[in-house]
Amino acid sequence: MPVASRETDIYRRDAKVDHNLLTPAERERLIKPYLPNPPTRSPSKRGRKDGIPKIRIGQPKSSRLGVRKFLKNQLHALVYAVVHAIFSVYIRFRQAYHAVKDRILAILYYHHRTPELIQKDVKGLSRLPEHLSVILKLEDGGKGGAGLEALVDEVAEIAAWCACVGIPMLSVYEQSEGILKGYLPATHRAIARKLSSYFGPQHPALSLRAPHVPSMESPSSPPTSDSLGASSKTLSILLLSSEDGRDSLVDLTKTLAEMAQRSKLSSKDISPDLIDAELSESVMGEPELLILFSPSVELSGYPPWQVRLTEIYHVQDNQGVGYQVFLRALYNFADAQMRFGR
Amino acid sequence: MSSMHLSQLHKWMLSSPPIEWAVNQLRELLIGAIRQGPVPQHIAFVMDGNRRFARSHKIETVEGHNLGFEALARILEICYKSGVKIVTVYAFSIENFKRSKYEVDALMAMAKIKLQQLSQHGELLHKYGASIRVLGQRDLVKPDVLEAVDRAVELTKNNGDCILNICFPYTSREEITTAIKSTVEDYSKPLSTQARPFSQTRITQKIRSRNLSTSPLRSTSPTPSSTSDVDDSISSTTTLHADSPNDGQEGPLYPDPETITSSTIEEHLLTAGNPPLDLLIRTSGVKRLSDFMLWQCHEDTEIVFLDTLWPDFDLWSFLPVLVEWQWKQKHIEEKGSANGINKSKIKVR
Repeated sequence: MPVASRETDIYRRDAKVDHNLLTPAERERLIKPYLPNPPTRSPSKRGRKDGIPKIRIGQPKSSRLGVRKFLKNQLHALVYAVVHAIFSVYIRFRQAYHAVKDRILAILYYHHRTPELIQKDVKGLSRLPEHLSVILKLEDGGKGGAGLEALVDEVAEIAAWCACVGIPMLSVYEQSEGILKGYLPATHRAIARKLSSYFGPQHPALSLRAPHVPSMESPSSPPTSDSLGASSKTLSILLLSSEDGRDSLVDLTKTLAEMAQRSKLSSKDISPDLIDAELSESVMGEPELLILFSPSVELSGYPPWQVRLTEIYHVQDNQGVGYQVFLRALYNFADAQMRFGR
Repeated sequence: MSSMHLSQLHKWMLSSPPIEWAVNQLRELLIGAIRQGPVPQHIAFVMDGNRRFARSHKIETVEGHNLGFEALARILEICYKSGVKIVTVYAFSIENFKRSKYEVDALMAMAKIKLQQLSQHGELLHKYGASIRVLGQRDLVKPDVLEAVDRAVELTKNNGDCILNICFPYTSREEITTAIKSTVEDYSKPLSTQARPFSQTRITQKIRSRNLSTSPLRSTSPTPSSTSDVDDSISSTTTLHADSPNDGQEGPLYPDPETITSSTIEEHLLTAGNPPLDLLIRTSGVKRLSDFMLWQCHEDTEIVFLDTLWPDFDLWSFLPVLVEWQWKQKHIEEKGSANGINKSKIKVR
């Protein structure tokens, strides 16, 4: 649209009467000075129809035009370089600023592995998600073991925070081919250990599962825990990987196609409700809040069907899992302001 | 209106010819510069914030949508000039039918008028190779609007240099469901074995009759099938007999469902044939996808949430996003070449 105010005014007056004021020709004349040059189609690329002969007519002058074009390109390349030079300086500053800010927040809000402190942090929040989801990334630190260990520890930490806050359902997405799913018992042990380091002997019950894998349950620590309301809750954790995204939809399609071939189902029966019911049965339902610990938003294969209305939270330029990110996500979810200090 | 009056002086300054010219030159320069680097091939916008803009400026909601349309035109101009091939916009969600009838009707009327107006400029659209596609549930659109839609789509369907996908009335779940449904329909069509000009029964008969003619003992027998229990031709006849009823019973043959892959479903999506989504921008600070492009954006699409309201969205808020995208692209390339894996990201021109 023309930036020029006079033309904009005319356009708006025209629009007001449903574009009956101007004739198409008048309108084209109005925007003509603002139109870019039509593309010069090289015959090899789109060699068909009109357009080409018209361009050929202009060829005698092409040498001067070529020089001008060349100079223009050089100028643009220069501006491009300048813009990017400025931008990389700017982004370094931004990253540094965010790093300092995150560091300060991390010091101000530290959980000290004390459930009471965490509970105090979220006390004022008007609402909490019933189902929280996080995307984690396996940092490949050369040796395979170290990365996996760090990942399991992150899962355990986040699980402990959820248990403290009182979020009953946590799903953890890790893209690579279900590396966590292969270590279900070990992960379960690590989380249970982490929970008891937060809660002491009376930690909440824990259920860990992955789609198509039977869940691992553990009772809320020694059955002696009888009357403690807060710690008798169950935390269920679901481990997801890339195969629970598109592939689950593909698998569902295969099943439906097979059923249709055996005339057990008519294609008219396929509705969003049917698919939704199947997917929430076999994978998971819709999470309410999705936390990313990456510097920018990229879903890296997260189940597409379920992410429909999920609130997506990330901290710009953030690197790695941190309690302050988790807390800020909850504050953001509850539409609350974070005040510095407790 | 007060904020609009306050900015009157500012506006007057900007609209004076030399400044206007300078600003335009600067815009052109920056857009030209963007072209020099990698440019996203496919960008999607969630045009959110028209209503909030109208409320905060105390104007009618419909007027907010009109300004939103102007913003769209501005953004399309930038996208075109910087070399973006495909722009997908979320114009109307199926959920939006739940809004007040007055607003829905106004939006529909607006869509109709703008599309009709667009159809008057077929020559111009053709010159730029611009194509318009409308993605969504057609059966939810009123016939008069649908007519305008069809005309605009029909008029530009042969152009392919730059495509504007208007998602209208659209939700991604409906889109995925429709894709699954049509995949299932494809796979439940029996493979056409009848198309071949040879008939299996005729061949069977031929073989049988040849066998009979070559065996001298049987040549005189009037009913060959009834005497199959005798001597040397026994083996051949029984196999033929065992085969023929089997063929009849097997029924139609279906393609193997195991051959369905994610690209099979992708071909049935409304965006089939478009390059992968590189960038998704949502304005007005809401950090949700709201049922838009779920399948297309959940892999390595860069998703950007901006606080600007859509009618305020212009080059100055769009440019940083583009530059940051380019900057990231360069980093990915550097990393890729360091690891020896060349992640072949699209480079334009």
